[in-house]
Amino acid sequence: MATVSFRALVKAYGDLEVVHGINLDVEDGEFVVLVGPSGCGKSTSLRMLAGLEDTSGGDILINEKVVNEVAPRDRDVAMVFQDYALYPHMSVFENMAFSLRYRKTPKAEITTRVMEAADILGLEPLLQRRPKQLSGGQRQRVAMGRAIVRKPQVFLFDEPLSNLDAKLRGSMRLEMKKLHRRLGVTTLYVTHDQIEAMTLADRVVVMNNGHIDQVGTPDEVYKSPKTLFVAGFIGSPTMNVLPAIRDADGSVRVGGADGFSIDRSDIPEDAPQNLVFGIRPEEVFVGETILDDKGPVVTAIVDVVEAQGPDTLVFASLGGHDLTIRTRPDVKVKAGDAVQVQLNISRSHLFNKETGRTL
Amino acid sequence: MSLRSRIFTHAILISVCFFMLLPIYWVIKTSVSGENLFVYPPSIIPADPNMFYYVEAWYTVDFVQLFSNSFLIATLVVIVNLVLNAMAGYALTKHFPGKSLVMSFLLMSMMIPFHATIIPAYLLTAELGLLNSKLGIALPALSHIVCILLFKSNFEAVPSSLIQAARLDGLSEWQILTKIMIPLSKPAVATNIILSFIWSWNEFLWPLIVVRSPDQQTMPLGLVSFLASFEDTTGSLYAFCVLVVLPSMLVFLLAQKDFIRGLTSGATKG
Repeated sequence: MATVSFRALVKAYGDLEVVHGINLDVEDGEFVVLVGPSGCGKSTSLRMLAGLEDTSGGDILINEKVVNEVAPRDRDVAMVFQDYALYPHMSVFENMAFSLRYRKTPKAEITTRVMEAADILGLEPLLQRRPKQLSGGQRQRVAMGRAIVRKPQVFLFDEPLSNLDAKLRGSMRLEMKKLHRRLGVTTLYVTHDQIEAMTLADRVVVMNNGHIDQVGTPDEVYKSPKTLFVAGFIGSPTMNVLPAIRDADGSVRVGGADGFSIDRSDIPEDAPQNLVFGIRPEEVFVGETILDDKGPVVTAIVDVVEAQGPDTLVFASLGGHDLTIRTRPDVKVKAGDAVQVQLNISRSHLFNKETGRTL
Repeated sequence: MSLRSRIFTHAILISVCFFMLLPIYWVIKTSVSGENLFVYPPSIIPADPNMFYYVEAWYTVDFVQLFSNSFLIATLVVIVNLVLNAMAGYALTKHFPGKSLVMSFLLMSMMIPFHATIIPAYLLTAELGLLNSKLGIALPALSHIVCILLFKSNFEAVPSSLIQAARLDGLSEWQILTKIMIPLSKPAVATNIILSFIWSWNEFLWPLIVVRSPDQQTMPLGLVSFLASFEDTTGSLYAFCVLVVLPSMLVFLLAQKDFIRGLTSGATKG
């Protein structure tokens, strides 16, 4: 097991810089998920850590040792690829044993380790099959098995579940979490799926445009997003954002003329006038869920109601701005209704409109 | 496809096959009967088929010597072609400075017919002291650009994640080539074997120039000397022709399934 660090890590392809000097410390045994939209540099960072891409600047440290110039095979990391990268001309057993053979591991130990991994992942009946004879989930497990048998210092996962259907993805997430708990190996996991990030990670690293926007526990990035981007990227449906203007008396006017005012005298005086007000859909109440002291009550027009079973999503319009509300399924509203909605101000966020950073 | 169009397609294919196979059949028929081509009325079925002409051909020339020369040279050509072409093809899947220059050089080389380079090739072979030797005969055929490009296109079809996984698994570039790329490019390997074998086996002009002593002659040269030595040789000549062609046909039949896949993948991913 090992610690992993990025120190001012840069990646550029010619003049195009895609990773802009990121810093990150991953602790021993930690499960860290790099999440962000396509092209944000998360996979590139992971591939640099694996040694599959050269760094353009900065350092990568594994166990406090700079590994920039160390060959991939000598970094003692194992990677699971998005397309699993199983060797099609080899059986499951051979796929799993392959790396050990080239590391001069004794034959008996290879068999023991492969059987151990097969036992953990439930692959024993499939050991003699070829990858093309396996289902997507089974292939995924073989790819994980191939990583496990090496007993590496660090596991790297590059969107390993994105080729699976939604149901299988859910069960594989659970298996991966259990596996990490059992093996305790330092893990870096790349995904663009924020649900995977939230459910798997000890800490989430939200990347945007080659920068790290926020590092924190899933709870932190959800409840206290540091930037507007994090607020919008984490959570489904995304956070409601409304334009806000700071007045001289310390109050903030949200949602224009049809909106409401809130008292935010705690905002620093040098904060700009133009702000963005953010609130999660579950912090907006409608109908009988409205409580006395939670915050201002305003009128919104319901556009669409989506019953999702355990809860209902209400898509409404507040002064011409979109407002999503997550409410209980027993709250009865229908499209076209003018309804009273209450915003839980204590769980709301204000962002600097220009920089996108929280105040 | 409807029944009518299937019948139509098959009828066309069968008639094309008939016209293509007829000369081969005629050669085989003559080799076992010795009947002259111009016999009237022409007979489809040989009157008295026997192996006499094969025996005659076998003993008239030093068949074992000719065959083993051709076979040794072809085997050498096939093995060296596989190694060199696969290595060159793999190198061409990578990005390196001057790659497009190398590619253009290779493609331009393909446009120059071998006959145009035969004098420098001869001089080079002479410089190396390889005239009148098996290695000298094999030398110009040790790598074929078509096969390099075929390997390149097959290797490019292998997902890059497999190569990266192999790299993480601890394989060197050579091991990646031999353990991952080549086993996953069987059509290219089969095509390479067939083409280099047939080209080497059938080569006439180059051995004619390089070889001086009869003990280094190959099958096609043997055929010419066979022709020159005898007058009425119809049956034996045809029998000898069959013996010359047979090995390359066998190699083709053994690997034809992968060969066709190799050629089509080369054509579409080229």
